[in-house]
Amino acid sequence: MTEPLLSLKNVTMKFGGVTALNDVSFDVKPQEILGLIGPNGAGKTTIFNVITGVYALTSGVISFEGQSLAGKKRYKITRSGIARTFQNIRLWGDMTSLENVMTATDTHKKSGLLSGLFGMPISRREEKRDKARAQELLDFIGIGEYSDRLAKNLPYGVQRRLEIARALGTEPKLLLLDEPAAGFNPAEKVELADTIRRIRDAGYTVLLIEHDMSLVMKVSDRVVVLDFGQKIADDLPKAIQEDPRVIEAYLGVPENAS
Amino acid sequence: MIGNFLDQFWSLTFGGLSLGFIYILIALGYTLVYGVLRMINFANSEIFMVGTFATVIVVRDVFKFTQSSEYATGLRLWFILATALVISMLVSGLLSLVVELVAYRRLRRRNSGILAPLISAIGVSMVLAESVRIMTDSRPVAAPRAMDKTFIGQFFDAGIRLDNTIIVIAALALFIALTTFINKTRMGKAIRAVSMNANAARLMGINIDGVISATFLIGGLMTGAAGFFYVLKYENTASSIGFELGIAAFTAAILGGIGNIKGAFFGGLALGLLETYASFFLGTQWKAVTVFIVLVLVLYTRPNGIFGESMTQSRV
Amino acid sequence: MINLRDKGAEIWEKSGRPARAAIVLASIAAVASLPFMGGTILNTPVASYESVLVNPVAMYVLMAIGLNIVIGKSGLLDLGYVAFFAIGAYTMGLLGTKTDLNTWEILPIGIAMSMFAGLILGVPALKLRGDYLAIITLGFGEIVRIVALNLGALGRSEGIQNIPTPPAIFGFEYAFDSHRIYFWTLLVFILLAIWMVRRLSARRAGRAWESIRQDEDVAELLGVPTFKYKIWAFVLGASVGGAAGVLYASKTLYIAPDNFTLQISILILACVVFGGMGNIWGVILGAVVLAYLPDRIRFLSEARLLVFGLVLVIMMNLRPDGLLPRKKREKAIVTKEKS
Repeated sequence: MTEPLLSLKNVTMKFGGVTALNDVSFDVKPQEILGLIGPNGAGKTTIFNVITGVYALTSGVISFEGQSLAGKKRYKITRSGIARTFQNIRLWGDMTSLENVMTATDTHKKSGLLSGLFGMPISRREEKRDKARAQELLDFIGIGEYSDRLAKNLPYGVQRRLEIARALGTEPKLLLLDEPAAGFNPAEKVELADTIRRIRDAGYTVLLIEHDMSLVMKVSDRVVVLDFGQKIADDLPKAIQEDPRVIEAYLGVPENAS
Repeated sequence: MIGNFLDQFWSLTFGGLSLGFIYILIALGYTLVYGVLRMINFANSEIFMVGTFATVIVVRDVFKFTQSSEYATGLRLWFILATALVISMLVSGLLSLVVELVAYRRLRRRNSGILAPLISAIGVSMVLAESVRIMTDSRPVAAPRAMDKTFIGQFFDAGIRLDNTIIVIAALALFIALTTFINKTRMGKAIRAVSMNANAARLMGINIDGVISATFLIGGLMTGAAGFFYVLKYENTASSIGFELGIAAFTAAILGGIGNIKGAFFGGLALGLLETYASFFLGTQWKAVTVFIVLVLVLYTRPNGIFGESMTQSRV
Repeated sequence: MINLRDKGAEIWEKSGRPARAAIVLASIAAVASLPFMGGTILNTPVASYESVLVNPVAMYVLMAIGLNIVIGKSGLLDLGYVAFFAIGAYTMGLLGTKTDLNTWEILPIGIAMSMFAGLILGVPALKLRGDYLAIITLGFGEIVRIVALNLGALGRSEGIQNIPTPPAIFGFEYAFDSHRIYFWTLLVFILLAIWMVRRLSARRAGRAWESIRQDEDVAELLGVPTFKYKIWAFVLGASVGGAAGVLYASKTLYIAPDNFTLQISILILACVVFGGMGNIWGVILGAVVLAYLPDRIRFLSEARLLVFGLVLVIMMNLRPDGLLPRKKREKAIVTKEKS
């Protein structure tokens, strides 16, 4: 029985009078692809936000590799191995694809401003190494030819994939993907599913928010379902698809109601 | 020192209160615009300054008062004061509208971020302040006293001056009128809706441009009134007072909670009193530093101000 | 102008190392020969051409490069930049008149003082966003001026007089009116500043600043230590301002609080905005134009600040990218692909 990579225990998130997350608990196992689904407003992106430190929990504990993330600065959380993409694409538009990813790979550099200024060998070495790594990631995701194009000029599909490449640049152990297939046509979705599997096979763990049911069910090892901030199911994809509570949450009415 | 202070406490306090109401009105200019646009209207300070000049022009050039004129009394006095007040309000209100149209509207449409409108606002401030400075030859302008600033009463040992009283009562009336407008009229409700959630307001069919223009207009009216009260109290003005009072009024708005009308009231009074007391102890040359210290303290201990919103929230 | 820029970028891209070195040296030589062109159309009617080259032109250029790090590259609106200039100048003034140290010895001290000021201002101020940072920095600038105005040790409104000029270097004498020497000295510092900025922009710092400017929240979530780099931007910007201040004081021999008003902060801001925020060449061009023209065209001289205010409003509304926009590298590359 392996230790979970990420563990949420009794996580509650309140904003003033609104309870966005209510006593949510689940684990993410190493090298699994966990799908996170639920109707709009169920709290899925909020889960990403509390994991990455955007919000401080009202109560509950989130542990990563056994250590609590409470009170940790956001960039430190990223450094410890969690990276994410964003529902509405948030690339640095005036920078090239390569620069976007290189900013992410800067996360683990030992050299900083001063060594860069004075041309210290360690800075030059790391810069060269990370530039190659960034290109490698772009190639891995399949957008290597766009490395010198400004992010704001890229086609939509390329931008979505750049978001993923950029997140991978931080050498995460856990990758949070927030609706990576939004706006994709079926062919692109198939490619994306393939990419996600390749990411997992390369050693990363993936937590995936998606609205496209077939994509989620095909790609995920397990699925967690949220509704109104609460976890209502946590199981294998097949079981989820037949779970009456899940069906009710999405459609409002159980299938065999009379 | 302390003994001296206690002796003068009430007269200092009355002076501080009337200054406080002047700050409230200018602070309203900042806070209302911040509420609908989430932006500091830098140019508000110069709109105040222009308002003061409008008052001087009315009293000195229209009604032809000079330093040696006789004081006006009775009905004539109220007529002169009312005219000066209304003209100042209108001038500032209209100027505020123009500023929005010229300096901010285009940037708002283009969604150009937070730096661009701020820089544009600074430019507008400069243009207004410099234009007036050139026209006045960089010299302060004296305003003739149109009325006898008698003491109309006593409170403990302090005399209550007529001008301070007029300021407090009139400004309070304006404030109440404003809050009534915001709470009871349709436009007022629209302004509140846009302050809370501009997108939702737009989807509900509210004309955002109209609301924003109205907000600038109303803010300008209040600020112009402050200009009138300032000249009434201090009998002079200069192209540089926009900056001096603007920072103080802005601090008042932050102290009370920017975007919050109640906050502007509280902050304005607090700052007026604070500044008056501080000037007594430290001398007037450290006034600006005192105000900045207050600003810094507020921003770091209670950035929401007493009633308002936070300025350090990130948006994800 | 756009075509010139891309043409220039193309030529640069296509040149090898020796060609590039030649271009750089030729440019520096051209600029260094500016003081000799006083008799031409460049002559200024109001003040002596050569003195104008030093102040305001070279001074504004240097300060604009510094402020550009803060505003242009990192997107932090600093309205109190004059504070660092003042701190550098007063350091020179005080130490120059009260100790035996000469300008070159005081220079590192002045720079250090400014950097320290940048740090103590930055640590609290940079926790705030946008507008509020602007107000706090504006306040800081004003406080520095008011303190200088009211402290006996700093000379109150009379300021500091008889500040010594720098000692001779390589046989060049620094008399009060040897404008050319001062110009070349400033040119050296400008080149140093350019080198520093370009060096940093190509590496981690540059990327960090860009990402902070464009989307700070996301930068933080992608591992950028945003606070640290914002502080760096402030401190480096301050160092340039401080250096300018030291040199300014040792040229004018006499400084007073009136020399360090909010207007100066806004002037430098106008240079950055006008020239093209983020683009170092744009910023230099903007500073040259805005510093030089009011002295060249007499009637502009009187209404200098008014013009700068108009520049700010007009630029923001019509051409927010400035004269020379940020890197349009893509255009140059696309043309290369096509050919």
